[in-house]
Amino acid sequence: MVKKQAPSPPKPRSSPKAFYVILGAVAVIGAYFLYMQTRAGSGAASATTIDPNVPLPKAEGYVLGNADAPVQVIEYADFECPVCAYFATITEPDIRKRLVETGQISLRYMHYHIPSHPNTWAASQAAACANEQGKFWEMHDAIYESQDRWAGTATRKPKGVLKDLAERVALNVRQWETCFDTQKYQPQLLASQQDAERRQVRGTPTFIIGSKMIDHNMSYDQFKAYVDTALAAAKAAAPNDSAAKKGTITRSK
Amino acid sequence: MSKRQIVALLALVGLLIAIYLTLYKAGAIAELACSVGSCETVQMSRWATFLGLPVAAWGIAFYVALLTLALASLQGGLVDSRAVSVALVAVTGWGVLFSAWLTYLELFVIHAICQWCVVSALLVTIAFVIAWLDLRDQRRSSETSVLA
Repeated sequence: MVKKQAPSPPKPRSSPKAFYVILGAVAVIGAYFLYMQTRAGSGAASATTIDPNVPLPKAEGYVLGNADAPVQVIEYADFECPVCAYFATITEPDIRKRLVETGQISLRYMHYHIPSHPNTWAASQAAACANEQGKFWEMHDAIYESQDRWAGTATRKPKGVLKDLAERVALNVRQWETCFDTQKYQPQLLASQQDAERRQVRGTPTFIIGSKMIDHNMSYDQFKAYVDTALAAAKAAAPNDSAAKKGTITRSK
Repeated sequence: MSKRQIVALLALVGLLIAIYLTLYKAGAIAELACSVGSCETVQMSRWATFLGLPVAAWGIAFYVALLTLALASLQGGLVDSRAVSVALVAVTGWGVLFSAWLTYLELFVIHAICQWCVVSALLVTIAFVIAWLDLRDQRRSSETSVLA
């Protein structure tokens, strides 16, 4: 039997029902995924309650401001992390001016190196060697400001740029270079890394403010809110008895 | 599945990605830990805003338009419309050009790649190719009907 050929064969209408079922399924799965993502990031869920009495690490990091300030903030950061750079260049100036300089908080910088960042250890070495000459924070700012020039996405050999920065913040470059080349502060960086792991830091930036650990970037207002809570708690508690901490990393071991 | 149905599906997936990135930019998704790759670099760069709105928000508008057009093209009277096929090619073609510009910025200006942006660029490119094949089919079927 031969079928009669239609003059213009109708376009194959592939089952519209199945199509709308697939379309609907994709929409529902996608919406669920988005909903979970927003929930994961919402305020309350992103701060964990921790024990504020965990003793300070052997690797003491670098302190900005009065070491006896009523609230002592710790930041775990990675020099090659774009969000840390965003925080350091956009938000931190306000924090320094309004909270650190007014004596309400001290800000302690600790290294936490993200494995996927090839040049972050070199940047930390550069900063630790600047600290030796009393210019950690100057170098910290310079490193973050020029992150796009020395980061792994820009170069495989960050030393040249870091050396330029050492010059820019007026370090004794020869002394800095010897320190950098010999990786003099590697043990301290490792101690800082281990401390972060011990405290279950998983990403950067992570902040410890009073009894809260916050594992994401914050605006000044959000940061201030955590500081205010911690200040109120500090006032309510007995007079602060924590020992004064030096503004340098101690040579552990 | 017909070609236009595939375009509609691609537009829906693209729309979801654009919503995801817009929420991220707006701060509703605070997943800013650095383990996600270089998406932050791209999203924090000054190129992530276009005419005062986040680029991802433009992406939402684009994919909504494409999805609407593709769904409309499946309805009764428009199924054999050549004009709709031309419109699909034009819209997806515009998407390809815009994505090419964004990918250029990622590679050569920002020096960071956001995997979601890459996925979106691929989706729109595939949609463009399929829309183009659909237009070719339309031409052929109109030719056959003329011959008959």
